[in-house]
Amino acid sequence: MNVVIASSSIDGGIGCWDLQTGAEQLRYKTCVSPPHGLASIGCRFLACSQLRDPSATSGHVLYWSWSKPQALVKSFPAEPIKPLAANTEGSYIVGGGSSGDIYFWEVATGRLLKKWHAHYRAVTCLVFSEDDSLLISGSEDGCVRVWSLFMIFDDVRQQQASHLYEYSFTEHTLRVTDIVMGYGGGNAVIVSASEDRTCKVWSLSRGRLLRNVLFPSIIDAITIDPGEHVFYAGSRDGKIYIAALNAESSPTNNYGLHIIGSLTDQSKPVTCLAYSAEGNLLLSGSEDGMIRVWDVKTKNIIRMFRRSKGPVNNILIVKLPYSLSRAESKVQASSRRHEISLQPPLEKYANSSDEDLDNKAIITLPDMIDLPSYLSSQLINDHIKQLQQQGSSAAAEMEVKRLKHDGQRSMEMFQQLKKVYDNLQEFCVNELLNGQPMEGSKGN
Amino acid sequence: MVRSKAPSKKQQKKGIDFKKIKRKLGRKLPPPKNATNTEIKSKAIVLPEQSVATNKEGLAVSKKGLTLKELLQQSSHHNAKVRRDALMGIKDLVINHPAELRQHRYAVIEKLRERISDDDKVVREALYQLFKSEIFPGCAEDNQGLFISLLMTYIFNAMTNLAIDIRLMAFKFFDLVVQYYPPCFSLYAEKILQSYEDILRKNQFYLEDKGKLKTTLSGLVRCLSLLPSKKPESEKSISGDRIIHAFEPDTPTANTGFSTIIKKLKELVLVLINCFQDFIPLLNSMPQLDVLSFDCILSMLQSIDIAVRFFIYGIHEETPESICDQTLSSALSKKLLGVFPLYPKHHLSVKEDDRYFILNVVIAAIFLHLRELVCPSANVFEKFLEFIENALLGTICSSTRSGKATWEKHIPLLLPFIPKLASEVQTGWQSRILESFTWTFKDCNPESSLKLACLSMIEEMLIPRGYMHYTKASDTVVLDYQTVWIRELPLLLNLLGDKQPSSSQVVLCLLLRLGQFSGSNPFLFGEYENIQFALSEFYSTCQEGNLYYGPFMRLPRDCQELSICCLYYFSNLNVLLLKSLTFCCLCSELEPFVSFRIIEVLHAAYKAGHIQIVDHISFFMTLLSRFKILPESICPVRESDVKVSNHGTFKSLTAMLCSYLSQMGDSSVVFHIVEKAILGLILLQPPLENACAMLRVLIVLDSKPTLLSEQSIIALSNFLPGYLMDVVHCIPEDDVQTWRYYILPCFFMFDRSSKLLKLVLDVIGSFLTDSNLSLPSDTSTRYATDSLSRINATISLLLLIYKDVKVRKIISSFRTEIGSILQSIASLQSSEVKMTLEERHRFQSSVLEKHFPLVRMVGNQPRGRSSFVGNIEKKYRFS
Repeated sequence: MNVVIASSSIDGGIGCWDLQTGAEQLRYKTCVSPPHGLASIGCRFLACSQLRDPSATSGHVLYWSWSKPQALVKSFPAEPIKPLAANTEGSYIVGGGSSGDIYFWEVATGRLLKKWHAHYRAVTCLVFSEDDSLLISGSEDGCVRVWSLFMIFDDVRQQQASHLYEYSFTEHTLRVTDIVMGYGGGNAVIVSASEDRTCKVWSLSRGRLLRNVLFPSIIDAITIDPGEHVFYAGSRDGKIYIAALNAESSPTNNYGLHIIGSLTDQSKPVTCLAYSAEGNLLLSGSEDGMIRVWDVKTKNIIRMFRRSKGPVNNILIVKLPYSLSRAESKVQASSRRHEISLQPPLEKYANSSDEDLDNKAIITLPDMIDLPSYLSSQLINDHIKQLQQQGSSAAAEMEVKRLKHDGQRSMEMFQQLKKVYDNLQEFCVNELLNGQPMEGSKGN
Repeated sequence: MVRSKAPSKKQQKKGIDFKKIKRKLGRKLPPPKNATNTEIKSKAIVLPEQSVATNKEGLAVSKKGLTLKELLQQSSHHNAKVRRDALMGIKDLVINHPAELRQHRYAVIEKLRERISDDDKVVREALYQLFKSEIFPGCAEDNQGLFISLLMTYIFNAMTNLAIDIRLMAFKFFDLVVQYYPPCFSLYAEKILQSYEDILRKNQFYLEDKGKLKTTLSGLVRCLSLLPSKKPESEKSISGDRIIHAFEPDTPTANTGFSTIIKKLKELVLVLINCFQDFIPLLNSMPQLDVLSFDCILSMLQSIDIAVRFFIYGIHEETPESICDQTLSSALSKKLLGVFPLYPKHHLSVKEDDRYFILNVVIAAIFLHLRELVCPSANVFEKFLEFIENALLGTICSSTRSGKATWEKHIPLLLPFIPKLASEVQTGWQSRILESFTWTFKDCNPESSLKLACLSMIEEMLIPRGYMHYTKASDTVVLDYQTVWIRELPLLLNLLGDKQPSSSQVVLCLLLRLGQFSGSNPFLFGEYENIQFALSEFYSTCQEGNLYYGPFMRLPRDCQELSICCLYYFSNLNVLLLKSLTFCCLCSELEPFVSFRIIEVLHAAYKAGHIQIVDHISFFMTLLSRFKILPESICPVRESDVKVSNHGTFKSLTAMLCSYLSQMGDSSVVFHIVEKAILGLILLQPPLENACAMLRVLIVLDSKPTLLSEQSIIALSNFLPGYLMDVVHCIPEDDVQTWRYYILPCFFMFDRSSKLLKLVLDVIGSFLTDSNLSLPSDTSTRYATDSLSRINATISLLLLIYKDVKVRKIISSFRTEIGSILQSIASLQSSEVKMTLEERHRFQSSVLEKHFPLVRMVGNQPRGRSSFVGNIEKKYRFS
């Protein structure tokens, strides 16, 4: 089930709707999110950074499980975190601080694995690449930087290199408002929007500017279509502009070079965009608190969701696991709650004693999912230890898994035996029934 | 005849006198030995040149009437003069018939290249001129590779010629080729360097003929400057409509062959150093440094400089350490750096000083490149530092104008080393170097390229590139100078004015980078904040009531954009700067686009917490109340004066500010802040447009049961009647759109507060009483001042109200007020005594026309006619 999740900078909770039916789901309470501050952690639970006031000196990060409206875990990082991002699998959370630092946490332990000074001013948006190996950050100083996680965790190479980042794009003159990444791994394009009224398209492989699109107004949100033909740019004048990525556009159109059209309905500024590949839908959140669902082909609005009065500033489309989307029984809910409560809050500082320990990543070979999962070796060690002591929840979970597996095998065996028995019986019966006449005939 | 006779005679004689000669019959005799051949043969003689009319009609010919083919033939004539004439002829022909050259260029080259090693000097010179002025420019866009390869074999051949003159000329030719086809050097690099080396080894000649040596060396400098180096070259050009995912072929880098030439280059450098060394005694013996020898030495030094740079920064596999081995580094340090500084022995003229200064600057640059490789002794290092300091301070150079010019031209060579030097030398020297650098920065001409070079160095020192390392706060020496530089920037901007936008752009870029960077450095943060005061002058200043606009207004768009972006990064925008920005926005000369951009960026800054809410709102309010509408009359814009009028601009400005204000957060809080400000402004009776804009702001922020306080409702009720009547008075009736624009805010207010409506109606009613009408100069209205127009306006206004369905519904509960207004209008008609007859007539005709429909409308209310309506109608019937 695909759900739409939207949060606001004014407290009104996180709204949640079914994209197909439009039915409203649970509303998660007390959330004041900055732009790009909402993230779904591997579809397991929701995380959102909280910032009451742009000039506040402290903020926190909240976790919600899908089934409970109240926030379950509250963490207090060292400084206010604005943007949050998690890798696809949900094993790591990255947060951008208002001093320009980037924080890198492990979800399972809450440990702060790394913190580095990334920008001169506050980080405004963070994006992971498709394969989770690159992190792209935008900042208030107009700088877009590309970080390789391999580099970040490689102390030796770091000392050799003159800088930590892979690329630093400084062509934007004002705050970067949004970044999206195209498809194609290392050959992808990055599109960044800024308050200087431009969107710029960068090449990740060549590390240079490919295209500069000047818009009639400031662009606050961008999203890219799955075919990568165009990107959509939500602007402060209330329009959603469609800018070409591939096609060569004629310079004689109304808006400017490379802009091939627009979606308009509203006069209020568009603050966030999301694209749902299922059904080719474009979702736009606006300053008036509405979420509009557009059919991209016909350029019509097909549905509207109404959040409470405040402006929407984050939209996510999350594919919920099937078990969660069913009407949950109380037993399930309690078990969920049990699970989420196990997530420890994010640590404030990097634990210096941990530095001595090896924090290498262990890549477990995938058995069920397609992607390899990265877990820090310390976490694995902990798991092993717990397993040995047979005490912890993770161990219990594994035990349960093992037992389930055993049970399944027993079932299979049982079935097999049953089948054999049935066959045997049938054979006997046949034998008996057939035997008699044969005997009879013989007798005759 | 003769022939046939003669043999027969002889035969007869011989037959008698001498032995018999056997004769065969039927055969003719061989001709006698002394016979004269009288046969006449004729052949056709073709003389194409001589028949003017027929032959050369279609052919291109030179002045002397020769075709290209003939000229080419003549170019290999054995007579030097003819050869030269042929070359001149070709030049002449090519000038007049450029197509001819394009068609036959390969033929021409193939023939002419033989002349490169011509024995005659004049011919070579003519050939050179021909190539330089015609052939190369003419063939610029062609496939030059083939073209050049045709030439190069002959040039190399000439380079190894025995005659020194021909060799030198060959270098000159090569220089020409390189100018037109730079890749040619990389193709033949090794061979060329060898040739240069050979010729420079012949040291007896260069002391004799410096002119030739000079041209050769300048060619060498040109060649060497083509060596690839790693210096970052920004490729910012993005072609507009290229496809993003286009396939880009790997362009073969022309630099691949350069690794092999390092050895050759090294030898060449050694030869050049020897050359230089040979010149030194000559310098000492000469009374003065003449131009030619100066140029020679300079070229040598420049060549060495370029070669050294290639060794250190160039793109090749070898490390600088392995290249600068013992032989090279000792030669460099002994023979070149050892003689530093060069100084005139006899000290004659100022010019000479400058020349020595230039040479010394180049040597210093070479030294600074090599500093880490040769590890100079402290003495030598000190010597150089001293020179650099003096050079920066300008004490070495002469103080004449030409001296100053040379100084500005050559100092940039030393500047790139300053950041590194300043960070590495000991503290004492550090402050001396920075001091002198600062002096240079301040002293040089703002429009010169030296200033730009200084700026880029300052950027490097203020904003470290690459890995972030911060200037330590303890580094007070550096901080002092940084302060000076930063404070200089806005002054420089004002000084530059709009004379040189490119320089202003560089300064603004630096300011922007500084702003972006300043967030992470507390010292820079403070300094950047302080710029604001000086920067406000860049926008506008207000002195004793007079406004002076700064250079901002006149700079091109991209500079304006940059300077607007700078504003965003002030963490606390002060009021002074905000004020000067406001004046800029209000200036009618500024393009609306730019002023909108200023507002947009300031709002973004407000959102980021960089502007106080009070300042921000008062900025908006000032814009709304002080914006000057042109032309001043409220009359709707006719098609013709759309250009002059800025009504449209103001409308979009209003819409923009309204939407910004509504986004500012809790609108009720914002409303309370704005309410006070607006009411203060409204009571000053602003022009209608501004008043309308302010009312619009109020209704955007207000909600259905009004948030207006009691006081403001009363204040508004005193203002609105006048406003409404003015609007009705000034706008012609048929222009409904404009009407709605001005009146709609009031309707919204009436909708939200019925009390306001009641008070307004009361005030309108009281306008119409006799006592008020007699006062001709009432201050509540600006336009509808006389009583007649006031009554007229009242009626039109009421008509308007009744036309609007929604307002009519609201107003239906105020029957008594309406009734009293109507009554007083009616009674005015009957009791009008002071008017002259004519006036009275005009009054009645105009009023009656409208009054009836109004009365009918009021009467058509669902509750039926009330008695007073009937009374009024009766009155009309009487009159």
